[in-house]
Amino acid sequence: MTKDNTSPANGSILVVGGGISGLTTTLEAAEAGYEVFLVENKPYLGGRVSQLNQYFPKLCPPTCGLEINFKRIKDNRKIKVFTMAEVEKVEGSPGNYNATIKLNPRLINENCTACGECVDVCPVERKNDFNFDMDNTKAVYKASEMAFPMRYTIDSSVCKGSECGKCADVCKYNAVELNMESKTLNIQVGAVVWSTGWKPYDAEQIDNLGFGKHKNIITNMMMERLSAPNGPTKGEIIRPSDKKAPESVVFVQCAGSRDENHLTYCSYICCMASLKQATYVRAQYPEAKIYIFYIDLRTPGQKYEKFYKNLKEDENVFFIKGKVAEVTEEPDGSITVVAEDTIAGEKVRQTADMVILATGMQPAAKPHADLKVNEDGFIINDFEKGGMFAAGCANKPADVVSSNQNATGMALKAIQTLVKR
Amino acid sequence: MADKYLVEPDLGFVKEVVGLGGESLKKCFQCATCSVACQLSPENKPFPRKEMIAASWGLKDRLVSDVDIWLCHECGDCSTLCPRGAKPGDVIAAVRSIAISEYAAPKALGKAVNDPKKLPILILIPIVIFILLGKLTGFLNFNPGGDEVVHSHFFSTWLVDIVFVPLALWVVVSFGMALKRFISDMHENALLEGKVVEKGFDLKGIIESAIKVVFTILKHDKFSECSENKPRATSHLMVLYGFIGLFIVTNVFFFTLYGLGIHGPYSQMNPFKWLGNVAGVSLVIGSFLMIRQRLSNPDMTTSYKDWYLLGLVFGLGATGMLTEITRLADLAGLSYGLYFAHLILIFNLFAYLPFSKLAHLVYRTTAMIYAEYYDRK
Repeated sequence: MTKDNTSPANGSILVVGGGISGLTTTLEAAEAGYEVFLVENKPYLGGRVSQLNQYFPKLCPPTCGLEINFKRIKDNRKIKVFTMAEVEKVEGSPGNYNATIKLNPRLINENCTACGECVDVCPVERKNDFNFDMDNTKAVYKASEMAFPMRYTIDSSVCKGSECGKCADVCKYNAVELNMESKTLNIQVGAVVWSTGWKPYDAEQIDNLGFGKHKNIITNMMMERLSAPNGPTKGEIIRPSDKKAPESVVFVQCAGSRDENHLTYCSYICCMASLKQATYVRAQYPEAKIYIFYIDLRTPGQKYEKFYKNLKEDENVFFIKGKVAEVTEEPDGSITVVAEDTIAGEKVRQTADMVILATGMQPAAKPHADLKVNEDGFIINDFEKGGMFAAGCANKPADVVSSNQNATGMALKAIQTLVKR
Repeated sequence: MADKYLVEPDLGFVKEVVGLGGESLKKCFQCATCSVACQLSPENKPFPRKEMIAASWGLKDRLVSDVDIWLCHECGDCSTLCPRGAKPGDVIAAVRSIAISEYAAPKALGKAVNDPKKLPILILIPIVIFILLGKLTGFLNFNPGGDEVVHSHFFSTWLVDIVFVPLALWVVVSFGMALKRFISDMHENALLEGKVVEKGFDLKGIIESAIKVVFTILKHDKFSECSENKPRATSHLMVLYGFIGLFIVTNVFFFTLYGLGIHGPYSQMNPFKWLGNVAGVSLVIGSFLMIRQRLSNPDMTTSYKDWYLLGLVFGLGATGMLTEITRLADLAGLSYGLYFAHLILIFNLFAYLPFSKLAHLVYRTTAMIYAEYYDRK
């Protein structure tokens, strides 16, 4: 392991996590003239947003937004990006932090042009976590169509290494470095913004909703990948068990959220996510029946309320007030959900080709730094102490709009920390 | 249903539910997970979601006459899945307790049975009656003497029967009156809420339903349908069978005494004596297991009403068996003392039957027959 003790000037900001919030904080601070280190543990930037098919409520694809941000990053000399990098620890006080960053080996260097010739010769396959294991990639892979940096990555946990070496042989640009090692570097920064984001709640924990037992029950994030043109089905919404085009779809709201056995809090985005996904289904299947089972539909603000109102006009979208508490699989693979329609006071048994669980958000990472977190693991912003701040979903469950507003605010907080010194 | 419904919340009722183990009531946010989790809940107007909001709103009238509170066997499946820890199972149990007090007269006695502070008075009543009547009639002899322990020499069977026969009659009358009101209210409520459709009176149908329900109870089929309840079904069944056995034995020996004029103690070889012993042991073990299950299950709320009954049943079985053992061991003083305690507990069981949790025996059976007859499934 080699050590690279670069210690750049101290008036800089460390941003941990390169999702939509981290990108925003980075750009806002850098474009105001501050040096920013952006550290991302995945091989690409863009985070959860890059996995989406469309944003709500405008229904534009995530390329709109991400691409412009990537371009701004490329053009800005104040920004230094580390992908596949982990912040191992941060020590110090406001204005004066020392961060230890571990750079994991990508096994592909900057020479890569993403031509893809290595993929054809690679003999090993791996589950594609970007698509929630719904398809496979080779051990050498490109995270997504719009991966940034646009370079391949080798999954060292499955790659056979130099004993195979076929990719290195075929690469015309000497981009493959199978012996690349991890590096650790220390950087001095004045402020840190944690935008470590969220992960979907593990739906297998919700025993009574059958995820993991029945193939045609998927999560909302899987639905995003299934609907995305760069997803495992090239954007075709088909049910996993037999690739049938669904004639009916059930959405199960609060799957694990607002539940003291799982996540005690409301995850904020799932209602809008399901309403949005109902439009995905409708766009592909004009006749499909869509059933949305909910406790309360939470569509805060004018725009979201309007989105909901528009969807209600679709006579084949049915809203049932009552939480799904039981599921069974029919012989043909379709799923029957059971709930009490609390307005009618009758039990409802609805069979559908596919069931989508609106699972919630959980904090993705536990920061190795002196930060307070609440009982659910979200970082509490201590503005009195200052110096380190949480932005976006590291702080609370939020949609993209609020995350960006919050991330902009945290850029200002970080800048204030530097200026006050 | 009427176009307008004026909610008249009975806040006292809400407090009462909270006090009887339903303290989690207000956490409910009406997601209805409970109605689906419950294996006994019918398709039409399922419970306990609607009971939760009615309790929260203080709709006492709707709840005490609600057939569904009795269809619940308190297994806790709903409470396990409840996302809010609102414990619908415990709330319904508290509502049942209030329903029992509501239908039993006099109401003051119903309140006393649910109040731990009144326990000394409840115990004192039989002591005073026994001693007063015993001294007046001379049927109570604190120095029975003799070579052999014969309980009737101490506490004459005449004294037992002049207390307990009228008491039993009173219990029957009291229950009869309560049931008459209960059934008519239950039916009115079920029609109002659309739980059943009127089908008129058909004696044959009622008898058929009753037979079916009795078998269901004897096999504890409903009890076992609850998944969280499996271990409790066995202990509950032991207590039920214990009581049935002792009921049979008591009646047989009542007949033997007054019909055939044969006085106890009866031979240990007598098959009814065997039945009595087996039933007694079943009662003791069953109630012991039930107490242990409640102590070892932190998810289950246990309030005074539960402990009163469980303590009573266990004490009843234990003093009964110990009275017999000490008699056979010739421990006269101890045996007479235990017998006296046993009779106090029996008085408690009998006299307060229409008021205590044990009344579920009558109300639940009635509600189950009603649901069977009206095909509420």
